[in-house]
Amino acid sequence: MVRQDDERTLLQIRDLHTHFATADGLVKAVDGVSFSIRNGATLGVVGESGCGKSVTALSVMRLIERPGRIVGGTITFGGKNLIDIPDDEMREIRGNQISMIFQEPMTSLNPVYTCGNQIAEAVSIHGGMSGGEARKRAIEMLSQVGIPDPARRAEEYPHQLSGGMRQRVMIAMALSTNPELLIADEPTTALDVTIQAQILELMKALRERNRMSIMLITHDLGVIAEMADDVVVMYAGKVVEQSDVNTVYEHPHHPYTRGLLASIPRLGEKRNRLEVIKGVVPNPLNLPAGCLFQRRCPSAMPICNVAPPFQEVAPGHLSRCWLTPAGDPPSVGEAPSEQVALDAAAALSAE
Amino acid sequence: MATYIVRRLIQAIPIVIGISVISFLIVHLTPGSPIDKFRTPRVSPETINNLIRLYGLDESIPVQFGKWFSKFWTFPFDNTAWGYSFTDGLPVRDKIFARIPSTLWLTGVSLLVTVIVAIPIGVLQAVRQYSWSDKIITTFSTIGYAMPTFWLGLMLKQTFSVQLNLFPLFGQNSFGKTGDLLDLLWHLTLPVTTLAVIQVAGWSRYMRASMLEVLRQDYIRTARSKGLADSRVIFKHALRNAMIPIVTLLGLTVPALLSGAAITETVFSWPGLGFLGVQAVTERDYPVVLATVMIGGVMVILGNLLADVAYAVVDPRITY
Repeated sequence: MVRQDDERTLLQIRDLHTHFATADGLVKAVDGVSFSIRNGATLGVVGESGCGKSVTALSVMRLIERPGRIVGGTITFGGKNLIDIPDDEMREIRGNQISMIFQEPMTSLNPVYTCGNQIAEAVSIHGGMSGGEARKRAIEMLSQVGIPDPARRAEEYPHQLSGGMRQRVMIAMALSTNPELLIADEPTTALDVTIQAQILELMKALRERNRMSIMLITHDLGVIAEMADDVVVMYAGKVVEQSDVNTVYEHPHHPYTRGLLASIPRLGEKRNRLEVIKGVVPNPLNLPAGCLFQRRCPSAMPICNVAPPFQEVAPGHLSRCWLTPAGDPPSVGEAPSEQVALDAAAALSAE
Repeated sequence: MATYIVRRLIQAIPIVIGISVISFLIVHLTPGSPIDKFRTPRVSPETINNLIRLYGLDESIPVQFGKWFSKFWTFPFDNTAWGYSFTDGLPVRDKIFARIPSTLWLTGVSLLVTVIVAIPIGVLQAVRQYSWSDKIITTFSTIGYAMPTFWLGLMLKQTFSVQLNLFPLFGQNSFGKTGDLLDLLWHLTLPVTTLAVIQVAGWSRYMRASMLEVLRQDYIRTARSKGLADSRVIFKHALRNAMIPIVTLLGLTVPALLSGAAITETVFSWPGLGFLGVQAVTERDYPVVLATVMIGGVMVILGNLLADVAYAVVDPRITY
């Protein structure tokens, strides 16, 4: 896996399993996810709806609601395993060292309290500030996120603001405690394109100013290209490809990543139709054996009935696919037989 | 806000007229007449005719209505504005005003008890949804909700008054103790319990549903993500939102405060408006029936207005 014992690692997730015991059966929303976030870097987490990216984020915050439960793995942050620490210790980290902003700015703010009140609350809980100081800090944060006339806006209720403004308030709230890590779960999905660009610019500027790391969850590869240093691609609860952003864009290895990249239009390229990835995400209650992507995969081979290992295809570039590092099907001679593959997979998972 | 209230009050005028016409017609359409009880062989037809003229029942319905309606609204200045009771000849206004404090004690205290008990129960149930406590409370509220008031009242009387002799059987005060607050509260216990058991059952269900609805909102997740303690998330962020529909419901309950709890008042012989209304209906005491119905109708209108105003007070998104 990635060099994880790097001192510059801020957050490290190892073999995280978050399952939901629904009435219809067990949903393994996150099934053995590992990745780390470097200090000051932005990690993009990409994938279709339902691939487990939001659940991963909520697991880091320990905000998984019943019937969901973190059943295994470690989340290391500041030398502590966030999964094991007591609730009150987690509350001190949550909203203080790790903050989160959500997809829906329209519904993520409490309608009956003013924006200033809601920002000041985070500050006074964690910073031990008095009401007046917290209030001043709230106004200062509102001006930092580019809200004009912040003192007046602080007295307004969320419904008096536009969607973009509300997302700015959310960002102000999340950053009011100077967190080391900001988790942004689809922060621009619900916004107009022009507002999206403004919010992304704002996040970039604040990232530089506060020297924080960002875990940016999105299904929009354009946003990733704009913001991320490293990329994790998730599919059906597992990480399928992981590398720095340039490698992922220039040399995607996993057919799923290639499919995602082929499905977005690019400037300067003449194409009549955009590619689509055929089929749908497998039913999480009834996952296929072997590679989870094989039914939709243009390169599917017999070997895909065995779950491929998550292995390096280039230094720092991991992919969960049987294709050779060059992207060719393994030739008959060197292709592992199913038994060899099973052994290899077993050996890798035992590690 | 003030213009809104004035507009609503003006809009209420045709509604009140409608209520008056319909209740007047219904009262006069009910079979039987206030005179019937005098029709015995010992009362001469002449006397009967005199009574009919005395009560004004010889005139046509529209004329009767006109006389009654035009005089009705002078009640703040004239204690005969609502006419005289057919049963005892007393001015109806005085009879009704004398009953208001009793009814307010009963309905007010039981509403207060209901709210104080039901809101925490509903919150607890929502926070611990599907837990054992939730299931047990749900079972009891279903039983409570399904229980007929008269039966519960009778059972309470049977147990606590007759067998255990802890509480009085009926009435509002013991002899010679009128105005004694402790004595009043002692008399209130059983009727208030009767009303509260049934109301708590309903209100705690509303509160539970409202709280559950709020708890799955995005802003609750935001509050948690700020690192707030559960108690603060529930009591600051969730409760205030969950109370919005409850406050509205409270406004709509106001008419019930004054129209009284007819069944409970009858079971406990509580001298309130509900008891008075029931007696008046059985006696065909037209003026009393009409006055109680009118009070009920006007209170419904005011209660609705109050609910709308309260809505704007608790929810900053609503302005008029």
